[in-house]
Parts: sequence; C-alpha cells; structure tokens
Amino acid sequence: MKTSEPPAPPTRRALLRGALGLGTAAALSACGQGDTTPRTSGDVTLSLWTHDPGYEAFFVKGVPAADRATDFRYHLKVTRSGPPDIVTKLLAQAVAGRGTPDMVGFEIGSFPRMLRGDIAERLLHDFTPDIEAVPGLKDDLLPARTAPFSRDGRVYAFDSDTPMVVYFHREDLFDAYGLLRGDQTWEEFAEAGARVYRDHNASMCVVSTVGSDPGQVVQSFQMLLYQRGGAFFDADGTLRLDSPEAEEVLRFLCEGLRSGFVIDVADYYGAAMQTALKSGRVIGLPMAIWYKNYGLLSNVPEQKGKWRVRALPPFAGGGGVTAALGGTGFGVIKDKANTRAATEFLFKTWLTHDGQVRRFTETGYLPTRRSVYEDPRLGAYKDEFCGGQRLFGLYRSLLPDVPAFHQSPDQSILYDVLAGNLLRAYRGSLTPRQALKQTAADFRDQAGR
Amino acid sequence: MTTTVTGPSGLTHRHSDPDRTAHRPRGSWAPYLFISPFYLLYVLFMLIPVGVSLWLSLTEWVGLGTPQWVGLRNYRLLATDISFHRALGNTAVFVLVAVCVIVPLALLIAQALNAKGLRARDLWRTAYFVPIVVSPILVALVFGLIFDRQFGLANAVLKALFGTGGVDWLGDPTLARVSIALVMLWRWTGYLTVFFLAGLQNVPRELYEAAAIDGAGRLRTFTTVTLPALKPVTAFVVVTSFICAAQIFEEPYLLTGGGPAESTLSVTMFIYRAAFQRQQFGYAAAAAVVLFVLVFGLSRLCNRLLGIGRATS
Repeated sequence: MKTSEPPAPPTRRALLRGALGLGTAAALSACGQGDTTPRTSGDVTLSLWTHDPGYEAFFVKGVPAADRATDFRYHLKVTRSGPPDIVTKLLAQAVAGRGTPDMVGFEIGSFPRMLRGDIAERLLHDFTPDIEAVPGLKDDLLPARTAPFSRDGRVYAFDSDTPMVVYFHREDLFDAYGLLRGDQTWEEFAEAGARVYRDHNASMCVVSTVGSDPGQVVQSFQMLLYQRGGAFFDADGTLRLDSPEAEEVLRFLCEGLRSGFVIDVADYYGAAMQTALKSGRVIGLPMAIWYKNYGLLSNVPEQKGKWRVRALPPFAGGGGVTAALGGTGFGVIKDKANTRAATEFLFKTWLTHDGQVRRFTETGYLPTRRSVYEDPRLGAYKDEFCGGQRLFGLYRSLLPDVPAFHQSPDQSILYDVLAGNLLRAYRGSLTPRQALKQTAADFRDQAGR
Repeated sequence: MTTTVTGPSGLTHRHSDPDRTAHRPRGSWAPYLFISPFYLLYVLFMLIPVGVSLWLSLTEWVGLGTPQWVGLRNYRLLATDISFHRALGNTAVFVLVAVCVIVPLALLIAQALNAKGLRARDLWRTAYFVPIVVSPILVALVFGLIFDRQFGLANAVLKALFGTGGVDWLGDPTLARVSIALVMLWRWTGYLTVFFLAGLQNVPRELYEAAAIDGAGRLRTFTTVTLPALKPVTAFVVVTSFICAAQIFEEPYLLTGGGPAESTLSVTMFIYRAAFQRQQFGYAAAAAVVLFVLVFGLSRLCNRLLGIGRATS
C-alpha cells in the first residue's frame, strides 16, 4: 500500500511571505472605506467632535428625547479638541478615507476653511432638503444664523446661538459717575466716556490689541461695523470692507482711544482684562451675550449683581442696535452609514422648540428659531449675575436687528491683514481711511493666490 | 568542517572549511535584512514625504479632492508675495540673533560657569538649563503677562525704575521682534551653554599651563587657547542654532501669532498659515521647499566655512 508522504513543513521564507501577505491584506482592509449602507433604525453610536463640553452635555442629555422621536437608539462617542484642530483633523481623516466623525461642531471662525474649493460640498451633508421637509422650519430659522454656515444657498450646519451684541455695564459705577442710562447715541456716549476717563480713569469701551490673535483684534471693530450696517463680505463672498461705514466706525474707535473713552486691552479673556475689570478701569463694553459667562463671570465673579445689559447705543448716522459675534455650527458628514441617524438626531435635539429652550437654560446660548423667543419659560428667566434682570424682553426687541454675517473662504486672510492695519490705526501710524485702503489692497494681493 | 590550528603564539585558531565558505551564496540577504528597518523607515518617513512635498508644491490643493497641476505657479507667486518676503526677513533677523547673540553669550556663560572656585556651580548650570525644559505654552503665557502694555511686569519695572512705562512690547512691530528675540535668548542660551561647557571641560589643562608660563593674560588665553580648542563644538553649535532659528515657530506663534502686521511672521508660520488656516497646501509646500533649499544650502556653506567634517591636521 502506497502511503502519501507527509507534507514538508513550510520553509521560513514561505512563512515570511504568508505573514507579509496577511499583514498587507489586514492593512488594506483597515484602510478601506467603512460600511456606507445607511442605517435606518436600531442602535447607533454617533461619533461627535466638539470643542465645548457644554455642547457635549447638551447632546448627551438629549439622547432620550431623540430616541423617542426617531427609530434609532442613540449612543454618543464624543471627542473634544480645539476649534481649528477639529477642521484639520476632519480633513486629514477625510483624506485617509476613514475615521471621520458623524457630527461636527464648527466654531464659526474655523468654518471658512470648509468653504475653500468644494470641501463643504464633498464632505458635509446639505440640510436644505431636510429643512424644507419640516413644515414651517425654513421660515422659523433665523437667516442671520444660517448665513454664516451656508454656501450657494445650501445650509451645511446649524448654529448654536444667536450671539447678539449688547452693552454690558457696571450699574453701580454708572450711577456713581452720573452716567445717563436713557437713549443715547454712541457719539453722546463717547463724550460722556471722555469725561469719565478724565475724572475717574475708567473706560466705557474696549478694543483688543492681542497681536497673537487676529480674530480677537478684528472682533472689536467687527461688532460696531456690523451694527453700523457695514460688513466684511457680501453673500457672494466679495469684500465689502472699504466702505464709509467702516471708516466711520474705525475713526470712532481711534478717537475713543485718544480720549480714553476706549481702552486697549491685550486680551478680552485673559489676565489683562481681569485686571482692568477688577480695578474698575473698564466699566462697560459692547460684547456678545456669551461674554457674560466666558468673560465676566469667569474673571470677576465677585462683581455679581453689579453688571447690567442694555442695547447698544445707535450711531447717529444710522444702523441698528445690535450685531452678532461668534457661534458654532453643527454639521453632519455626508455619505456615511450614520448620516441619516445623525441628521435626525440634530433635528430632534438641536432644532426642536424644547431643545432650543433647554440650550439656553443649560448653556446660555440664544435660540436660532424665531418662534422660541416667545416661550414663556424664557421670558420668565432672570439673570442673577445681572442683578436679576429679565433679559429676554431685550433679546426679543433686538432680534429684528441681528444682521446676517456672510463668510468667505478667504476670511482668515482678511483677519490677518485687517488686524495689522487696525493696530496701526489705533496707534496713529495710519489714518482710518489709509488702514482700510491698505487692508483692501493687502487682501486683494493675497486672496488671489 | 572546521579545523583547529595552533599558531606561533601557542593560541589556537578555528578556521572554517574553505569548501563550505565557497558554497555560501555571494549575495546573502541577511545583512540587508538587519539594516532594512532603518531604510524602510527612512523611505517611508523621509523620502516619500519629501517627494510628495515637491510634487505638491507644483499643484494647487485645498486638502481634499484631487490636486490640480499648476507647474511652477506657486513659486512664481512666492517670488512676489510680500508676506513671504516679510517672513524671510523676520526669519533672517531671528537667525542673526541666534548665531550672533545667543551663541557668543552661551560661550561667555559657559566660560564663567567653568571658572575655578565658582560657588553653587550646579545650581547655576541648572538655572541656565531650566528654560529649555519649560513648556513653550507656559513660556508664552508668562512672557505674555510680562510684556503686556497696560498691566505687564516689564512696564511696571520700567515705571518703578525710570518713571516711564507704556512700552508696547508686543504691539509695536519693532519691539515685537525684540520681545521674540528676548524670549529666544532666555530659552536657548542655557541649552547651548551646556555644549560649550562640555567642550571646555575637554580642553587639556596643559595648554592653559603653557599659556600661563608664556605670560598670557585672561583675554589672550581665551583667544589663543580656549577658542581654537572649542572650534569643533562652536561649529556644531553655530550650525544647529542656524537650522533651529531658521525653522523658528513656537516663540512667535504663541507670543505674537506672527503679528502685529506680520512683523514676527516666520517662514514656518507662513507655511503653517497657508496650509492649516487658508487650505492652500500647494502654496505651503512650495514655501516649505524654498525653506528647505535655503536652510540646506546655507548650512552646507556654514559646514564648509567652519570646516566641519574635515580631518584636522
């Protein structure tokens, strides 16, 4: 009987080849695209990237409501990172073809990077049809807050806030210094401010001069520019900065710096501002509503009850009584298995009436739906830091004046060149007119590259 | 088969069978396998990225999608980009500070720390070395407070001593450069001192004794004994300082963000800004290639001038 010979043991070379082959196969499969078959129901784990723990808490708390309102059972996997890093990592993961999140919170200053080329179109889910599918939603959403996250009429993210710019002031010191609190224009305000500076070494307006943060330098000017009716860009992304309104606002700030009505502080949020607030050198400033939590409450908690909020004084030449500054848009990554689940989650937490009320009560961000401003729960809200002031009446009255803010992919270029020229104007080495003309020229030079 | 042979010294030597040696394949792969990890990593993490950067510099790419071939357009734009010229100028200033101020200062401090009879020598050495191990973020925070115009320590000291303050350390373009240079000085001097100290401790004592016998004073001893003996260390320190300063990023990025008005923008910051704030990856890659060529060329020139790598007679 012939017996077959036992197979020869594999050679070392064969083993090495086999291992190499297996490793390559594993690596290739790991690098491949994930499953993109849309999930329509059941358990789903959404990965969320955000820079703010407040948003994380909001969404985690919103899971039960989203579970009830959809066919999904949600779980969240949250990753926190700095605002610019979120965009950088998102693009890196997108290039790698895997590891992208399902939902992303874009801080408004970082979002313009998504508008470069066709990045937003390639990467982000377009919410426009979803908005139209919900009766009344399109008219209810504030266009002023969808504009910063839109391109070519498509909405790519939903804002977290309607960050109206208001005037924060120390009521006790305003009383002590005999400052009027009725209707005044900025010009009258500045006149009184010069006197207060002369008599009490205190300022009623602030500009930031922190060289390391062009965004912060620009925002001092931006708030008043938008209030006055000016803008950086129009809806097409064309620069609109070189305007009479811009020149008027910049001149106003420069003259304020000379008279002492305006003080230049290195950093709105850091030690310099804290010192200025604690020492009574700053007794008022125009800022977005979130500054109460991130600037005042964190720097001068002991001044609780002394601060008040009012509308911005209008400019004699025209414009409104508020502007908007900041925001964070939540978007969904397109063509993923969880795209539909993430979109529904956003609609059933972020955009519901109760969700928007809860967002204000838990995070301090104002609703982005017009109808929510009428909610009695918000009307009854008293702000303890502001001496128990009922603020919602004020916010409701400011709502029609919130200007749209359009972003351009070249926005960071504008911020870089504008910040430098603003500082030159503040210092007096350029006139406001020259600073704006120079900014427009520098922008044109760099934006075309 | 192995044979054992007794040599003239009485020691035994083992020799391999010449027949067996003759049968071993000539091109054995084993040595190459052992050194392959280095080359593999070198190719993966050096040659491929450099090649990709070169290719990317000839394209326009927003970071997603397919890069578009634009040939030498990015280089042409760089040639006329005022921001890039500013960045090159600022970087040149930082390089000059590093090579012409920090290196000589480090040498002088090393000489002082090497002096006989210095008390608390280790304490001094540690004190000078500490800045380099402090996190750059912390450095930026602390110096940001020191240089604040309204409430900073530097101005408070100036006011207390001379009755004047209000110097805009980080807001004035010239002073912002000076502030960055001061931070560089604070951070890097101690680190370079360590190299010089090591070099000084290797200078033969006999040379100093001979100089003393010849009646040389301190200055003459320093110029005729210490400096020549330190030439290899100095050459190394100069070239590495040059390369580090040419790639400076942390100090201006954290302290001034390249401002005000790009007065402290370095080339590496320019590259970072183009790639990660403006999504102009092709343009950033072109700037990186220019920086690479400049640093490589100038450091080769430094090597040649300082005689690095040449056998000493």
